[in-house]
Amino acid sequence: MSNPLADMEKPDVIFCIGTNMTEAHPVAATRLKKALARGARLIVADPRRIRLAEMAHLYLPIRVGSDTALLLAMAHVIVREELYDLEFMEARTEGWEAFLEYVQPFTPEWAAGITQVPAADIERAAIWYGSADRAAIYYTLGITEHICGVENVQSLANLALLTGNVGREGTGINPMRGQNNIQGAGDAGALPNNYPGFQPVTDPANQAKFEQLYGRKIDLEKGPTKVQALEMAGDTIFAMLIDGENTVVSDPHQEHTVRALKSLEHLVVIDIFLTETAELAHVVLPAAAWAEVDGHFTNTERRIQRIRKVVDPPGQARPDWWIISQLAQRMGLEGFDYDSPVPVFNELCRVSPIYQGIDWELADSGRYQWPIPYRGHPGTPRLHEGGFINGRGKFTFTHYRDPAEVVDDQYPVWLTTGRRLETYHTRTQTGRSLGMDYLVAEEFLEVHPEDLAAWGLEDGDWARVSSRRGSLLIRVKATRRSPRGTVFASFAFSDRPINVLTGSGYDPITHTAELKVCAVRVEAVAPEEVGPIQETLALA
Amino acid sequence: MQTKTLADPLSRHGIRKVRTICGYCGVGCAVDVLARDNRIVAIHPAWDGPANQGALCIKGQFAYDYVHHPDRLTHPLVRGRDGRFHRVSWDEALDAAAEGFLRVQAKYGRHAIYGVASGRTPSEANYLMQKFIRVAFGTNHIDNCSRA
Ligand code: SF4
Repeated sequence: MSNPLADMEKPDVIFCIGTNMTEAHPVAATRLKKALARGARLIVADPRRIRLAEMAHLYLPIRVGSDTALLLAMAHVIVREELYDLEFMEARTEGWEAFLEYVQPFTPEWAAGITQVPAADIERAAIWYGSADRAAIYYTLGITEHICGVENVQSLANLALLTGNVGREGTGINPMRGQNNIQGAGDAGALPNNYPGFQPVTDPANQAKFEQLYGRKIDLEKGPTKVQALEMAGDTIFAMLIDGENTVVSDPHQEHTVRALKSLEHLVVIDIFLTETAELAHVVLPAAAWAEVDGHFTNTERRIQRIRKVVDPPGQARPDWWIISQLAQRMGLEGFDYDSPVPVFNELCRVSPIYQGIDWELADSGRYQWPIPYRGHPGTPRLHEGGFINGRGKFTFTHYRDPAEVVDDQYPVWLTTGRRLETYHTRTQTGRSLGMDYLVAEEFLEVHPEDLAAWGLEDGDWARVSSRRGSLLIRVKATRRSPRGTVFASFAFSDRPINVLTGSGYDPITHTAELKVCAVRVEAVAPEEVGPIQETLALA
Repeated sequence: MQTKTLADPLSRHGIRKVRTICGYCGVGCAVDVLARDNRIVAIHPAWDGPANQGALCIKGQFAYDYVHHPDRLTHPLVRGRDGRFHRVSWDEALDAAAEGFLRVQAKYGRHAIYGVASGRTPSEANYLMQKFIRVAFGTNHIDNCSRA
């Protein structure tokens, strides 16, 4: 996030797109409610009539995967109505003159045909966002889990640059990070393109720096992404070390993932449970869980926070840092003789410019948001305040593209996936927490009641959902949260593995999977077909 | 002495309170975990938590049973010739893990190995995952799960 969570209470207009905040980030949503109580106006763009949409002053029910069209048209209206911030653009951006020209053809009427949102509502959203003194954008995976994820984000950045809604209180472009430490994983360099602290591996100066630090020359080329690596499995990649990720259930196109992992000659999994992924491993190493280790998480607002050990891990389970250090030492590597997580964190701080100003002791206060470039620096709650790190803000000429897969006669229904409040990711944890399992004991497919009727189904019936990649049986649930022609399910339950259906495409730049859109067919099933399934459920 | 006991009713019942951060989502709510005899008994929101200021969602407040679940892995496992997992010592497991990577490297080269780090684990684990791959193989064959 460019701005701190505290800023959520301060905008005049809040534009939420592709974020199911009340379910995925509930506590952040309470801050947003404070802004609404203060009189802020809320615009929500989402294919589903989620709770956040119910709270909105203006709801834009966009067709799945049409975000870029909506955002281009909003830019068009802001330019047409001269709601842009000329002073800001002149002082802080470049290429703005060309951008003002570029958006001319993208009228709200053009976008209405793609997004299925009335042109007048697109216009109103643009005017609200463009005329606010402080307007803030919040988004989540609904923006990034598309083949055009990067263009979606760039389109949002265009709007903020156009109106000067960056680097000030109550503004910004704010992705809400999903997992507890997904930000920290990137910060720490678990990326194929960056060393710790987002230092590009393709820069020879960084290569030299890390050769000196690590005593080994590391490739100047970026590594493959995880998505590419799974495709290379059994072909050029033959061993993997997977730490704490249930790849089999969380990744798209499950059959492909299982085949990829099975083709490895050596798979080592570090986890707290024998997950579906661990079951495919040759070696499984038991890890200490949350509340059993000391260390740090970095939250969505770039705040580095200390986590503390409360209880001992069960049996022989050990902290990840210990396991990886031991493994490295067995392979004869130098520089892994850590006796606690403290020197590990201090080393991370030393080698990362964005963490340079802190260490284990200073981080204890939870006060620091990176970048903290030097000792005595107070940290940076709000990015881009005086200027952009990379010079001037650049506009991007984005294009609308259809999703990798569009509905047709054979697969006439859009499926979109996501999370629910009561479950977390692949449910290896919430599925094992008593109260939680009671709240959502099984997965279901959310369908508009009129679609159900049209398909000869009733609320609670079993249906077969098929895509070009697979099919599964699932119960349907009538709800007006789903628009007609679009169905929804979460991927939390391994016994209803929604990701057998998904996986139609990837963003060509980030390789983020298009989990948010695929084309499916929904059919009523005969009771005989369902019988054995119900038995398995009853047994589980 | 007596005032101290009165002021600290938790410790009178053998309950420890430890400040940490919720392990579920990226908001990063601060919590006080209450534990007795090596078991978590409750989670309280931290009123001075910078991200949450006393708020918590149901996951953060209640979904901690998994920590003590009987399904937790308690021993290293290595797949034997019979295709099944066998409980082994850490020594044996680490040797098997290391030996496998060295074998694959000898057979197919250093680009045949890949590491997947986690958005759930602490930054220390992520830092060491990337350092391990980069130092052991000199490659950038490392990613985390942010793309899916
Ligand atoms: S308590 Fe809820 S909102 Fe807060 S970090 Fe945990 S999961 Fe996220």
